[in-house]
Amino acid sequence: MSTTTEAGFTQEAFEAFLAERREPDWLRRRRLEAWRRFEELPIPRGGEEWRRTDLRAFRLQRFGLPLLPPAEAATPEGLLAEGVPLAGRAVSFDSLSLHEELDPHFARRGVLFGSLDDLVFEHGDLLRPHLLARAVDPHYDKFAALHAACWQGGTLVYVPRGVAVGRPLYTLSTLSSGGVDLGHTLIVLEEDAEATVVGETASSDSEGGGLHCGAIEILLAPGARLRYVNLQNWGNGVWHFAHQKARLDRDASLQWTIGALGGRLAKVNQHVALVGEGAHAQVNGVMFTEGRQHLAYHTLQHHETPRGTSDLLYKGALQDRSHLVWRGMIKVDPDAQKTDAYQRNDNLMLSEQARADSIPGLEIEADDVRCSHGATAGRVDEEQIFYAQSRGLTRKEAVRMIVSGFFQQVFDRIAIDSVREVLGRAIGRRVREYQET
Amino acid sequence: MSQFLPVCKIDDIPDPGKAVFEVDDRFIVVFRLDGEWHALDDCCTHDGGPLGEGDIEGFQIICPRHGARFDIRTGRAMTMPAVRATPYHQVKVEGDDVLVKLSEE
Repeated sequence: MSTTTEAGFTQEAFEAFLAERREPDWLRRRRLEAWRRFEELPIPRGGEEWRRTDLRAFRLQRFGLPLLPPAEAATPEGLLAEGVPLAGRAVSFDSLSLHEELDPHFARRGVLFGSLDDLVFEHGDLLRPHLLARAVDPHYDKFAALHAACWQGGTLVYVPRGVAVGRPLYTLSTLSSGGVDLGHTLIVLEEDAEATVVGETASSDSEGGGLHCGAIEILLAPGARLRYVNLQNWGNGVWHFAHQKARLDRDASLQWTIGALGGRLAKVNQHVALVGEGAHAQVNGVMFTEGRQHLAYHTLQHHETPRGTSDLLYKGALQDRSHLVWRGMIKVDPDAQKTDAYQRNDNLMLSEQARADSIPGLEIEADDVRCSHGATAGRVDEEQIFYAQSRGLTRKEAVRMIVSGFFQQVFDRIAIDSVREVLGRAIGRRVREYQET
Repeated sequence: MSQFLPVCKIDDIPDPGKAVFEVDDRFIVVFRLDGEWHALDDCCTHDGGPLGEGDIEGFQIICPRHGARFDIRTGRAMTMPAVRATPYHQVKVEGDDVLVKLSEE
């Protein structure tokens, strides 16, 4: 079962898509401008950003805009919400909203949660200053432009001033085999608002292909506090391109955890901008790759104002011939004195053929800051395996235990129990026999 | 199991010469040198550079990024900065057709 798609992202398909949407003029104009940019730009190749990510096998013309809603969608199940009391839940299939609900208690207090498609029509004036205007640059590259022109579905989380949403808001984006997801996530927390958002993706076929070309925008007003978990768990044939950016105003606080398990090739730009004094961002990453998967994460912690703190910890385990790329930058502007920033990437190599590229970087223009970084890559210690086996564990159990211990440091930072357990289980299932050669 | 798959006609590659092909979601470089046919992954094991864009010197291909050299007949890394072999694929010619069998690596 899949939705109907128009072959290729053609001018005709784009015009038909625009014609059937009931959108405000300002949004239509932004889409048209982004479409022009999309047509001008080539598929990226080379340069520092793309030299490790080879897109020669990617055929954009094999994909197109999802045009018709699914008739009877057999959506895959999510993992993260099991047993968790939720404040709201939204499910989409190939970008199209299937189901959304929000606890009326929070709706009465002005919280908006659900499909961005519908809410942008009803609350256009509220969203206009935020949507693809302050965070993600719609003209950054071909994928950002395609997304800005053709985004559909996705999720809006809007929490008014001073409101705290005590239970998680949950989103599940699902994809048919060969399907296309162009979902946009926009999270806006007004002053002193508080929320927890848990999002995940899934494919109807775990080996299936498809395309995700998406964006996440997080806008935190002064004093806002957000915990956000985002698990990428597409099928192993999916191409995943994403621009993700958070802007934190004065004293705002963000804990952002990403998990990456699926996808054939992923290229993600994750950017945290501390634009107000005293903002705090913690970024956690958990990656597990296998087969010939290629996941590339380009992170930026940008300190624009004084007294900001940011702390990034990415941990990856690599199996088979998979390839993980992390290129991280801490950028401190001249005015951002008293910045305290850290970034770290650890990789555990579970096969001889896997490859990890860790490229940390600092660009510091202020003179009273503390910024540091670290990166490690190593194999499973045979002595540890031997010890565990001498205590009665099989080799496979021993390796699983060591992998689990490797991730514990980042799991300890995830405050939501279900997320910790699900990630731990999903990774444990993927670990195969480790044989040192 | 991998099998021989046609990639081009013999006249598509001059001698000496090379060309890059996509075979079963992998990119490989096919070489024709002194009447011999060889194929390697189009990937330098040092930094992932595209070997197919490099120069040939004798039976060596030179990575265009950092100058690592690989033996075209085996895939072995010959100079720094590469230290590991790049996968070698068997090539055979049947009539006008050039066929490649991907290594399991």
